[in-house]
Amino acid sequence: MANTWGYGAMTNSLGDIQNSKAIIIFGANPAVNHPVGFQHFLKAKERNNAKIIVIDPVFTKTAAKADHYCRIRPGTDIPFMYGMLHLIFKNNWQDDKFINDRVYGMEDIMEEAKKWNPKKVEDVTGVPADQLIQITKLYAQSNPGTLIWAMGLTQHTVGSSNTRLAPILQLSLGNMGVEGGGTNILRGHDNVQGATDMCCLSHTLPGYYGLSSGSWKYFAKSWGVDYNWLATKRFKNEEWMGKKGFTLSRWWAGVLDGKDGNDQIHNAGTNLKNLFVMGNGITSIAQQAKVKEGLDNLDMIVLCDPFVNEAAILTDKQDDVFILPAATQFETSGTVVATNRSAQWRTKVVEPMYESKTDHDIMFELAKRLGFYDEYTAGMKIKENKKDFTWPEDASDEIARIIKTIGLTGWTAKRLKKHTENWHMFDQISGRGYGEMKGEYYGLPWPVWTETHGGSPLLYNINRSVKDGGMGFRNRFGLEHDGQDLLSGKGSAPKDSANKDGYPEITAKNIEKVLGIKLTADEKKRIGKNWKVDTSNIIAEKCMERGMAPYGNAKARAKVWTFPDQIPMHREPLHSPRQDLVKKYPSYQDKSNHYRVDTKYISKQNEQDWSKDFPINLVTGRLVNMNGAGMENRASKYLAALSPEMFCSIHPDLAGKHGIRDGSMMWIHSPEGTKIKVKANYSHSVSEDRIFIPFHFAGHFQGEDLSHKYPKGTKPYAVGESANTVTNYGYDIITQIPETKGGLCRIEYA
Amino acid sequence: MLVDTYETLKAQIGRRSFMKMAAVATAASVTSAFANDGVTRAATEEEIKNPFPGSTKVKTICTACSVGCGIIAEVQNGVWVRQEVAQDHPISLGGHCCKGADMIDMVRSEVRLKHPMVKEAGQWKRLSWDDALDRIANKLKDSHEKAGPDSAMFLGSAKMSSEQAYYFRKFAAMYGTNNIDHQARI
Repeated sequence: MANTWGYGAMTNSLGDIQNSKAIIIFGANPAVNHPVGFQHFLKAKERNNAKIIVIDPVFTKTAAKADHYCRIRPGTDIPFMYGMLHLIFKNNWQDDKFINDRVYGMEDIMEEAKKWNPKKVEDVTGVPADQLIQITKLYAQSNPGTLIWAMGLTQHTVGSSNTRLAPILQLSLGNMGVEGGGTNILRGHDNVQGATDMCCLSHTLPGYYGLSSGSWKYFAKSWGVDYNWLATKRFKNEEWMGKKGFTLSRWWAGVLDGKDGNDQIHNAGTNLKNLFVMGNGITSIAQQAKVKEGLDNLDMIVLCDPFVNEAAILTDKQDDVFILPAATQFETSGTVVATNRSAQWRTKVVEPMYESKTDHDIMFELAKRLGFYDEYTAGMKIKENKKDFTWPEDASDEIARIIKTIGLTGWTAKRLKKHTENWHMFDQISGRGYGEMKGEYYGLPWPVWTETHGGSPLLYNINRSVKDGGMGFRNRFGLEHDGQDLLSGKGSAPKDSANKDGYPEITAKNIEKVLGIKLTADEKKRIGKNWKVDTSNIIAEKCMERGMAPYGNAKARAKVWTFPDQIPMHREPLHSPRQDLVKKYPSYQDKSNHYRVDTKYISKQNEQDWSKDFPINLVTGRLVNMNGAGMENRASKYLAALSPEMFCSIHPDLAGKHGIRDGSMMWIHSPEGTKIKVKANYSHSVSEDRIFIPFHFAGHFQGEDLSHKYPKGTKPYAVGESANTVTNYGYDIITQIPETKGGLCRIEYA
Repeated sequence: MLVDTYETLKAQIGRRSFMKMAAVATAASVTSAFANDGVTRAATEEEIKNPFPGSTKVKTICTACSVGCGIIAEVQNGVWVRQEVAQDHPISLGGHCCKGADMIDMVRSEVRLKHPMVKEAGQWKRLSWDDALDRIANKLKDSHEKAGPDSAMFLGSAKMSSEQAYYFRKFAAMYGTNNIDHQARI
């Protein structure tokens, strides 16, 4: 998404879904995963008679509320969406003016879409041609329509193509930047958006600044530390400072170091020796057997969590496994960012219980012992030249001072607290404030360009002025490509803009010309090089006065010229039940040094005819009473009682073929040679060619109960096999997100 | 210290068991002679209306999913005693799912990890924070020198506050590696 129009985040909000006339839910199950958020979907149904269309390999509880349900084969979302685009262009349902003014490269999409007629789509996806025609017509003619997705789209080798084609579908219908439209990705955990914005990520610095030396220099300066100290005393050297690190999905390969046929690594001449985990249920990442192998071979494992992180139970490592009691988020205060980019202040309820410590205290204590505590905390004292800092307010203000890319300038601790304290003063649909909160949107959804800006609840909306949250698409990919202008077309600037057309992102160099203003000598002295590093905020302030967005006004792009597939192309999953289609739509070439580890694509896909030995599709997902690795939910008596055992949803006819009765135990075998033993649960939510398993369990491994490995008094109320013990090898070509939503398996009676 | 803790506990338990008894008495008063034996009495209307006198209500946010529902947490003497939905919250509109409704029980769960532990020769042993942190820091320091900073992997969390997530990223940077990630890559 970020590669399409500038930001990779939910564009509208849950409340705004009430404005939709049609809702496509693609690989997401909000009725279970976001139950309270789902009430806004149901309200859209009541208010607008909105039609809900669910596309999912499994008939979910969300599907039960839908007007149309398409049972799609896992990993074929791209053909499905091209099928929709095929019909849209064929019937002239597209929004020509929108495409012309605001989109680059749609012609290539039109060409590819021609190939995907409904019959062909039916063959590949399993969705009947008639149904595709029916829902495409319905969706195209019910404006505005919103498109919802979650991990059902991202967890594939082609996940990053999926998340480009869905925006393109919305662009074709002019559904972007309007109330009731947008691409609304539903985030999982409470602060995925916030932690992602802060970039606990191996490929970028906070605020998505990347890892270039320019970015590091900006951060070193903003943190109040010496760049050379960072580059030479802390990092191995400048070169490694600029390289992406290992990821959550593949760190174990970094431990195993290419031994015993494992993938080769490229990690500054060492393998991984120490693992430090804080609040991360790594028993819910793909390929648990490999995770275990990685854990077993580390020198030290440190796990900080309110409950026992079950990595400590999974591993057979005998020494130097530390489990530290971290406080919950109710035992500290700070900012939490909801799925729609809006912030709330989570106020501390009680002091940390037992001997638990807050996450930041643990980090501070370690920083002291590692000798960089002063450098570490200097950033909090810079703004007001303080001697000491107050957590978390000074950290919030440090972030607001530095992060310009996504416009966090307005997120001062003071404002965020005021919003949460006054949550009753905002409209549930538009988020607009009343009374004292007038002129601001609830939670100040970013970008919040200045300390008085009211937030931007609806990205890319040119019908509002920038001051009121309006903006065009971000100018992020240069000014032209293949001789074509990448700036937005004539007359397509946000309301009240001084410049009515497209314009580039604002820099110190072009500000006078683009904004049509004159800077004073003092301003010229204080202004930063460009809007992203302008800590004086002069650029943003001047832009507000002129009704212009600091990041420019450009076209969204349907084609990404730096990706292996410039436009999204269908590629079968590495483990596909359709070998005939594998030949036609093969995966990518193997990728060397993908986040420091060689990653197999085509060679894995062609290793053998996987579908012969593993004929059943494996789909994983969530239960209403749990999230993530289920660590904290299974530690609750009441929630654990709702699903006390790990199970597999299986169609009675499929089960019958294998002699598996409802309630009997069954084995699930993966192509990687691993297996899990779970209880069969007859269900018609799945068809005969696939099974569904929830991924919240841990504490069993390949048939063995590991209960005895929990320290006394810490065993959760429910334990079971981790679904991810049998998820398959396979990683997204750009992001390295694992392909857990389209693998294969074999089953037998246990 | 020990005496103080004892006194505090005694005082609190005293109040709590009194409340319990008062509640039982109310329920039983119609049919039981217990109610008037001088040991218990009927709870007053005020006590029924406000079972946690002196408590404060904290507006806070659920930690389950990214919807960001409001929670009203009632705290008495430093103990989270009751959880209410937020009727006037603009997103949750008074709603709670089962995960959200369980926040109070998650925090007070009996199976929480209560103190630092380390596995040595296959056995779990309790140790102090200082010991734990010293040992961890020494290992990290040692590897930084011998194998280089890229010998460490830091896995942060989408369950941290933004401030903590930012400081986690900064921690990895100052340790000297880009081997850092979190749940967004699931």
